[in-house]
Amino acid sequence: MTDAGQLQLIEESFYARAVDWAKSAAGIAIITTILLAVVGSIDKGPYIIVNTLVTGGMWALMAVGLALVLGVMNLSNFAHGEYFMLGTLVAYYIITPMHESLFENYNPVLMLFAPVIAIFSAFFIVGFIGAVTDKLVFVPLRKRSKEQWMMNCFLVTIGLGQLLINGHQLIFGTVFKGVVGYWDVPSLSLAGVRISVDRMFAFCLAVVVIILFGLFMKYSRTGRAVRAVSQDEPGALMVGISVPRIHTFTLAVSCALAGLAGASLLFMFPSYPAVGVGPLYNSWFVIIVVGFGNVGGAIAGGFIIALIQVLTRVYLGEGWETVIPMLMLSAVLIFKPTGIFGAKVRGIWER
Amino acid sequence: MENAYAKREMNLIERILDFACLSPLGALALIMVCILPLVPPFNKEYLIRWLIMGAIWGTAAISFDLSGGYINIVNFGYMAFFGLGGYTSALVTIHLGLPAWVGIFLGVIPPAVLGFLTGALSLRLRGMFAICFTWFFGLALMGVAFKWVSLTRGPLGLRVPRLLETTSNVPYFYIVMIMLVVTYVVLARLVRSPMGLAFRAIGQNMEAAKTSGINPTRFRIINFTVSCALAGWLGGFYAHYYAILTPEIMHTQKTVEILVVAYIGGRASLWGGVLAGFPFAMAMEFIRSTFSELPGINLLIYGTFLILIMIFYPGGAVQLYRTYLVPSKNRIIQKLIRTRY
Repeated sequence: MTDAGQLQLIEESFYARAVDWAKSAAGIAIITTILLAVVGSIDKGPYIIVNTLVTGGMWALMAVGLALVLGVMNLSNFAHGEYFMLGTLVAYYIITPMHESLFENYNPVLMLFAPVIAIFSAFFIVGFIGAVTDKLVFVPLRKRSKEQWMMNCFLVTIGLGQLLINGHQLIFGTVFKGVVGYWDVPSLSLAGVRISVDRMFAFCLAVVVIILFGLFMKYSRTGRAVRAVSQDEPGALMVGISVPRIHTFTLAVSCALAGLAGASLLFMFPSYPAVGVGPLYNSWFVIIVVGFGNVGGAIAGGFIIALIQVLTRVYLGEGWETVIPMLMLSAVLIFKPTGIFGAKVRGIWER
Repeated sequence: MENAYAKREMNLIERILDFACLSPLGALALIMVCILPLVPPFNKEYLIRWLIMGAIWGTAAISFDLSGGYINIVNFGYMAFFGLGGYTSALVTIHLGLPAWVGIFLGVIPPAVLGFLTGALSLRLRGMFAICFTWFFGLALMGVAFKWVSLTRGPLGLRVPRLLETTSNVPYFYIVMIMLVVTYVVLARLVRSPMGLAFRAIGQNMEAAKTSGINPTRFRIINFTVSCALAGWLGGFYAHYYAILTPEIMHTQKTVEILVVAYIGGRASLWGGVLAGFPFAMAMEFIRSTFSELPGINLLIYGTFLILIMIFYPGGAVQLYRTYLVPSKNRIIQKLIRTRY
């Protein structure tokens, strides 16, 4: 066979595979999402796409964190949104004094880096809080409950959520603690659309962090250990991986991702006690719709839920954004019970 | 044969207790709670209000436990069904002019239908995902209640006619106690029947239950329908007692309150929730009214309590009962806790 023939074959198979993919549930969902986004932005203006991209990236980050603890620790974390809330809180209490002092003696370089410092310190502080939570709550729980672990975990995380929400209310009050924008610069103009720098940064950050996270899980020693624990815990123990340490690390990373999402969305979600409920809902929604399986699915799911909510808010008004996703979820469950992206892996968390 | 013989031997009281699935101890406790509003420290109106609160929590915990404890799927949107029953009953009374007690019974229908749907849709999901589905369902219902302003008046709250003309709380207390007993008896008899066995089998191991010829579809749907219908019934009473209904009642927060009560009482027991409901409701109301300058402190204590219970004593109060009272050799204790259930 000639080279040209081979090339044609490859092209054909690629084309066939693309058609197959487009016919699969995942393809249909993604194509519908893109079409909806395009139609919506033609109708109502391009800010629909911008908002979808900005929040979708962050929901993807949160869903990835949630899926990670679900896979590695069999822990269904219903306090995940509260780490988002902690992220907003930490970022707020770091950025406000910085902005105040910078207001008095202006320093352009610091002005540029202050938000970055706030966001990354939220990442590390919330990650640290996550590690402490694991040591204080989940390590004793794991020691004591064996067969009821899933259920007890669920209840403990609910208690944890209550504790964090009401702790926030007691210590910091119910006032909205937010910033108008991280960077006090005029918004960028991209192809006739004005996008604020905060939003651009949030989107780019989400993309970069997801890529870094994927690389970390794939190539680093720790990432490999985490994947090993998620696949086979006794096996991982046998080859000398310290499973408790991996558990702590996993929860810390997951919480840190939630904190990062919270910190970089501070301009959209001012910090108040129950701010985490929406993000928690979104990340669980992503996990259910997508079906547990791959990070790619979670990313797509993040954008899908973000688009649904942006469209609902624009066309129906505030408050309907729990109703419409619910109807869509019911439809998905009727036609594709394993989730859009087809979970091949069925683990202990479904029992 | 032996069973029939035992039946003949029973006297009237024993037969009544057996019908109601109560142990003599349980019946005594129930009677004591019933005379509480008449004895001095409890005969103040605000304390009777707290008692009614406790009874509502206890009743809600019983039907919550039917799905949470037996088939091991926590209905995380439970209070949305409760609120749905309340709204139906209130709207029927307001717009059709029916008496309130008819409304309470009509309020059973929509939650039962939606419970049926939830059970049917969430069948495809397992464990945690089914819980999430019920949660989303509850949130969606609350969203509708908030946004359908022309019907529910949204966050402003719906003014509901009261069930009785009196301002006294005592009649309400006895009505809710009757509802508690009816709910308990219906569910305890359900759980004692072969169907209850099927529930337990599904809850413990779905695959094994399927292998032994149980159709999980049917039992999960029945379970959800019954549990939600009873929630709606109680919701109707709630609406006509407090006379004001806001969508807040459907919030997940409220479900968590019921959940804490049910789990501190102990899962898969039905009566555990009642046992925990009264003291817990009293304690929470006490904390809320004493530390009114610290809003949210009662929920903070709630969360801490839930975490500690789950880590150190996941069985709840029922676990205490099963480890200390049931194996006890003392003949009086044995007589007191003897049931077929």
